[in-house]
Amino acid sequence: MVLGGFSCKHGEGEYHGIMDKIEAEGENYHGTSLSSEPYFEDINMIEITEGEHTFLIPERKGEIKMFACSECHTQPLEQMQNSDFKKAHWDIKLDHANQNTMNCVTCHNPYNMDSLKSLTGNHIDFNNSYNLCNQCHAQQFEDWKGGAHGKRIGGWAPPRASMTCVNCHNPHEPHFESRWPARFNTQKVKERE
Amino acid sequence: MSSERKKWFSLNLGRKKAEPHSSCGCGKTSEGCGSNAVDHQMTEEAFNEAAINASIGEERVKDGFDQVFDVKMSRRSAFKKLTASLLVGAGAVSTSCSMMAGDDTKEKAQIDWEEQFKGNYKLMNDDEKKATVERLMRSYELRTGKNISMSSKNAEDDVLYGYAFNISKCQGYMDCVSACVEENNQDRNSQMQYIRIHEMKDGKGFNFDEADDNYYHEVPAEGHFYMGTQCFHCDNPPCVEVCPVQATWREDDGLVVVDYDWCVGCRYCMAACPYDGRRFNWSKPEVPEEEINKNQHYLGNRMRKKGVMEKCTFCVQRSRAGKNPACVEACPTGARIFGNLLDPNSTIRWVLENKKVFRLKEDLGTEPKFWYFMD
Repeated sequence: MVLGGFSCKHGEGEYHGIMDKIEAEGENYHGTSLSSEPYFEDINMIEITEGEHTFLIPERKGEIKMFACSECHTQPLEQMQNSDFKKAHWDIKLDHANQNTMNCVTCHNPYNMDSLKSLTGNHIDFNNSYNLCNQCHAQQFEDWKGGAHGKRIGGWAPPRASMTCVNCHNPHEPHFESRWPARFNTQKVKERE
Repeated sequence: MSSERKKWFSLNLGRKKAEPHSSCGCGKTSEGCGSNAVDHQMTEEAFNEAAINASIGEERVKDGFDQVFDVKMSRRSAFKKLTASLLVGAGAVSTSCSMMAGDDTKEKAQIDWEEQFKGNYKLMNDDEKKATVERLMRSYELRTGKNISMSSKNAEDDVLYGYAFNISKCQGYMDCVSACVEENNQDRNSQMQYIRIHEMKDGKGFNFDEADDNYYHEVPAEGHFYMGTQCFHCDNPPCVEVCPVQATWREDDGLVVVDYDWCVGCRYCMAACPYDGRRFNWSKPEVPEEEINKNQHYLGNRMRKKGVMEKCTFCVQRSRAGKNPACVEACPTGARIFGNLLDPNSTIRWVLENKKVFRLKEDLGTEPKFWYFMD
């Protein structure tokens, strides 16, 4: 009967809402044939496991133009520093927290420039620099692990590949600059006159 | 009655209610009503004819061809007959003009003819879908000399698409809008855009009356926040309900799509959508040849024509290939999250389960698959 056909939402109306449907239909999830892999095959990825989340992030050290740092930094930082003028890294401006809280050696290891260091002085690899950020940005770290903060690489399909902190944020100036919108709709203005 | 359960108003055009013969909907048992009388006095054939004439309700069981001609023959034989008559006609025209009709012209005419009388995409089997997509690609090649690729890929099993939008993250850059226009071949003349980014004043909540969706100044502006709207791909879409020709429907993976070749342009769906998600082509959509995205899907970004509806399809040509929609990929702040709601390990599911999410006009019962959340 037509009446019966309309009484349910779309012919399969055993669900009261979308969350019920997701729960019921997701119960026997078998995976999909789709994969994100072809879309990031030219990016060098490393797999990380943080808590209950395992996913891929881009390898970092290969992307840093002047790595390894020790090729120039042959001596500990204090011996190379010159109070008169800056010999290198002219483009780096530190705008992260305030000067009282952070300086170069908050994150960089002054005795081994190829390595980062935690607040307590432990070694952190450049490839896992998110461990440096999460010392202060714990909430963002939680969201990033789950996938609420940051961006996917490739597509929505598994396997999951996500950008790591430094792929979007410049660690020396992590904020986003204000700028003009990408477009302005002149037609909409006319239509609303 | 089913209509009493709905929380929105839906037009009941041409949908003849099947009243039970024993009782009458008006509640009267005497002969004052008359709604039963019609049924009893007409023969079944006469009733059918009247029904076809008076309404388009028959579309539920018949495909487009039968609706037009109501002929008792199979689709295949119908096509053969029509094609034969076309060739005779084309031949007659060409001889009368005393010009040799090129093979291309004939092929073009044949394609146009078959396209003109094809059925609703929703009712096609996979071979028919493939055939129409091939005709459209060939037609494009004949007309422009250039090739496009068009997919008729169906919904994947175990996939239901969902979207989450982080209001704390959006800065109003509108990179998503740009990416969407380019990806989906939207009309450049009318500057059609599926996505709207609303600039809202802090402390006023979601106040669309005072929001500005066409700002042009440096963003983010002091004292404002930004949120985007587009088609929410409702699980219970009112736009689908009101379409008199069933040119729009919900696919198994949750995408609400339009068959641009079946749409009659009545714009009921536009009126029915509570989210302003649908757009209409008032003029012939135009995209410069060099800007056309040639990676297309029948239900997605293929070129539209004047007088039909279109809208966001979550970039069906991308999403059904495992990619993210163009807006998600373009967003520089990571405010947009897309994924498979049925996959318990997907990031979209993590967002729904761990962040405080909400949807617009949840009380309407439209069940949009587009959630908002904050950091």
